[in-house]
Amino acid sequence: MTPTAPQTAPVRRNRTTRAVLALAAATLMAGCAQVPHPSPNDPWESYNRSMYTFNDAVDRAVLKPIATGYEKVTPRPVRTCVHNVFSNLGDVWSAINSLLQGRGRDFVDTFGRVLFNTTAGLGGCIDVASMHGARKIPNDFGMTLGVWGFGQGPYFVLPFLGPSTVRDGVGTAVTLTAPVTPTAAVFAIDNVPVRNSILGLYIVDTRANLLEADRLVDQIALDKYSFIRDAYLQRRKAMLDSRTHGERASTEDALEQAPGASGGDSLPVYEDPDAEPTH
Amino acid sequence: MMMPFFLSNLRRAARAGLLGLALALCAAPAARAEHAVDPKAAPDVFLGAVANNMLEAVKADPLALKGDVGHITALVRQYALPYVDMDKTTRLAAGRYWRQASAQQQADLVKAFTGTLIRTYSGAFTRVTPATTITLLPFRGDAQGDDAVVRTSVSQPNSSPIGVDYRLEKTDAGWKVYDLNVEGIWLIQNYRNQFAQEIGRSGVDGLIKALNAKSGQ
Repeated sequence: MTPTAPQTAPVRRNRTTRAVLALAAATLMAGCAQVPHPSPNDPWESYNRSMYTFNDAVDRAVLKPIATGYEKVTPRPVRTCVHNVFSNLGDVWSAINSLLQGRGRDFVDTFGRVLFNTTAGLGGCIDVASMHGARKIPNDFGMTLGVWGFGQGPYFVLPFLGPSTVRDGVGTAVTLTAPVTPTAAVFAIDNVPVRNSILGLYIVDTRANLLEADRLVDQIALDKYSFIRDAYLQRRKAMLDSRTHGERASTEDALEQAPGASGGDSLPVYEDPDAEPTH
Repeated sequence: MMMPFFLSNLRRAARAGLLGLALALCAAPAARAEHAVDPKAAPDVFLGAVANNMLEAVKADPLALKGDVGHITALVRQYALPYVDMDKTTRLAAGRYWRQASAQQQADLVKAFTGTLIRTYSGAFTRVTPATTITLLPFRGDAQGDDAVVRTSVSQPNSSPIGVDYRLEKTDAGWKVYDLNVEGIWLIQNYRNQFAQEIGRSGVDGLIKALNAKSGQ
């Protein structure tokens, strides 16, 4: 009679492990299906689609309901403050990446934002820098690798984190281990409950900020997977183009740019099925 | 910002002719000066007038300002759609499949995709506040050419600006918009794979049906 009680816990844990493994296996098996319309950027589509389905299931079950609740119960100014604080921490890493990419002006501008927002913006709560025209210049290590000349590789859906490419996945791995990111700042907290609460808040804030885009995509995408993939690849390409073609990343700089300056826009080229044969 | 909870209601209302009435009511108190739209002017001048009229219209409509998608889409139809070449947009998105479609299918496809475009563009106006501004970035490129890109930035206090670019073509009637870019993502480009996928699976009619099913939500 007595030994049964301590045994249940490991047994249960084993069962959970087995269930998770079974789910993972099923996911990968499903990934072996043939893809009807292959895209050249996405040779791993069958795996990617399975991982996308897995992420989507996790999202629907956990993240999205929490983020939706957070959006409902928390007043907008509080949410904005929380978001700005994390965004301010993120700016430090963006600034370092601008530096690594040789974009001195972006580095100085972003570093200035951090100083200004941390002091006058009360620890980043208020984005006073943006109000004074110093707009956020997003940057990350995947972009840095791109500027350094690494190709993006195939599209690659990461577990839990979502759309990526091989290059951006490496960038994300570096970012997660870098000592100057919002996650690193949170992990530097010794008090475990406080640390976990803040980490949770960071995840919820990140997800809550995607709710609106998510609603729109739900509404306009024929195939959410393709839509998100193509949007991700296009956006990353546009970001990289703006950096490698010497175009200023910040809006204010673009405003200063003389009209007629050579633009780095690589516009999509569409073949027009109705085009005149003389074209 | 809210999903179109009202969209199905709106559609029913539109059928009942209530939409016109509602629009007339909203438009009545708005004694704002509209920018004159001249499609024959320089592309950035033309586009600036269209985009600013659209923004002012949203600001003048209390429900649109609250993020009511039904109201915003109605305003997009009124202020932006007349300057869009939806035939070209749809043709380019369909690519080589366009010629496989009959004239009737082509017309139906244009109509169905118009709904998608309107909802996409409306999405850019769901967070408008009275302080929102549209800034035209300096026009680069050849204003004498047949193809132009006008870049704009939609700014509001305490959040990052959103880049919205327009691609225009010179027609006999002046400039027409045929592609739209939000934060680096071109609309046509983003639908080419989805169109091909859907046509491959269930033909042109299947694509039309899928697009219409999306609008019916």
